[in-house]
Amino acid sequence: MNEPTSSPAVIGRRNLLRAGALTVGAAALLAACGSEETGEVATVGNGAPNPDLETGTVNNAVRLRTAASVENTIANAYATVLELGLLSGSSALYPNLGDQTANVTLFAEHHTAAAAAYNELAVAAGGQAWECGNPRFDSVFVAAIFSRITEGVEATDTASAIPASDDPVRDVATMVHALESLSAATAQALVGQVTEPAQRKAAMEVGVRSGRQAAMMALQINPGGYVPGEVTEQDGLPIPVAVPTVFGSVGGILWVGGAGDENGVRMRSTFETPSFNSMVYDFTEYGECAPAEG
Amino acid sequence: MEIEATHAGLAGARRVGRRGLLAAGLGGASASLLPVLLGRAAATTPDDSTPDENTTTTAPPKRPSEADVALLGAAQQVELTMVALYDDAIAGVTGWSDEDAVVMVAFREAHEDSAVAISALLGRQAPNARSESLYSALAPSFVGGRDDVVAKAWEAESAAVATHGELLGSLQGFNGATLIAAIQMAEARHCTVLADLLGTDDTALLLVDDEADPLEVNG
Repeated sequence: MNEPTSSPAVIGRRNLLRAGALTVGAAALLAACGSEETGEVATVGNGAPNPDLETGTVNNAVRLRTAASVENTIANAYATVLELGLLSGSSALYPNLGDQTANVTLFAEHHTAAAAAYNELAVAAGGQAWECGNPRFDSVFVAAIFSRITEGVEATDTASAIPASDDPVRDVATMVHALESLSAATAQALVGQVTEPAQRKAAMEVGVRSGRQAAMMALQINPGGYVPGEVTEQDGLPIPVAVPTVFGSVGGILWVGGAGDENGVRMRSTFETPSFNSMVYDFTEYGECAPAEG
Repeated sequence: MEIEATHAGLAGARRVGRRGLLAAGLGGASASLLPVLLGRAAATTPDDSTPDENTTTTAPPKRPSEADVALLGAAQQVELTMVALYDDAIAGVTGWSDEDAVVMVAFREAHEDSAVAISALLGRQAPNARSESLYSALAPSFVGGRDDVVAKAWEAESAAVATHGELLGSLQGFNGATLIAAIQMAEARHCTVLADLLGTDDTALLLVDDEADPLEVNG
């Protein structure tokens, strides 16, 4: 005999959909009756426009004060070298280098005077003097190189740490050579940029001295390295020579240094003469230097 | 003379003092180039081309003006005179080391390359000849011992640098000015090398604290 069985609570598809719809409807009703608003209510109208970049006017004065900024960057870099005593000690790669403190001190005086000369020309051209370093060169070149030499690089999730330089005297000496070459190239490049012959002549008075300082530094690093030879690298570093090209070059100046990474690759930085991304425009503000007035 | 030399360390460099180097200088062979050349200067040739469209300063012409042509021609004569002087030195001096020979030949060729570059800029207006007056003034000092001739070359290079500096103060066209600046930069470095060849460690000589007077070109 069949006994009646209690019917279990069967949840069919139809019931499930019905319950879901009720839940959603109740939630919507409660939300509509609530006093709190969630999210932002759309508004009608126009928001603030994207800010316009300031127009960078490039004229003789801007080019000249940019050159002054490069000279200040170099002088400041040398002050740091001397302050930190980075030239004390010896270099394993350049055992005959000797103490370059006196030379770098002399070079720094030239660059300070060069900055003053460029600023004087900039003012005469209707601009304003710039007493600070070059913002881009300071961060991209000098600070980055000093950091690599003195501190190395911390480890990341994907790369091992890189220690401080294995030969700081080597790296600072080659940096000095690169900065002297940069000063010379900047002056030479100015000749093709400024419009007044007197400005070109004055720029090359700076450039000639810097070029000679670059040549002298090359000979300190590489005695007898007068002109390019067949061997151009030593321990992965370019070998500087006193007269690297038949004509003065305004091309990039390669610096290689610091300890190698886990693959043995050292830091490489190419110094280039100022361009639009490194100009000291009238609106440029950096350190203690305010934008130009008027 | 040996000119098939290898590039090696400076061995046995003779050391001379600043006084000795200056005493071996060119003396009165130098004089101002500018007055002579400016006499040839005339009005500039208008040219609409500019070096950089983003600049706001009114740009001078790219090509050499008529006045520039005279100045650049004189610069070429200086370069060709230097070639002749180096030829005399290379051939006339005994006792060049291999390293000396490499430098002297390299510098001679650099001056020749500079003259060729100026010729390319001036075309048929280039004189393509050395300055006989300048050569006559300088040639007697480019004979003798090795140290004397290197010292003379040091001062002649310094005078060439000064000459190009004077030209830069007068040249209007960008092309001529940039070429002269490139030549001047290289020749400035020549001075440092020549001082180093003499074995000096005097920075006043290596860096040429006292630049020589500009050279005079009178044809």
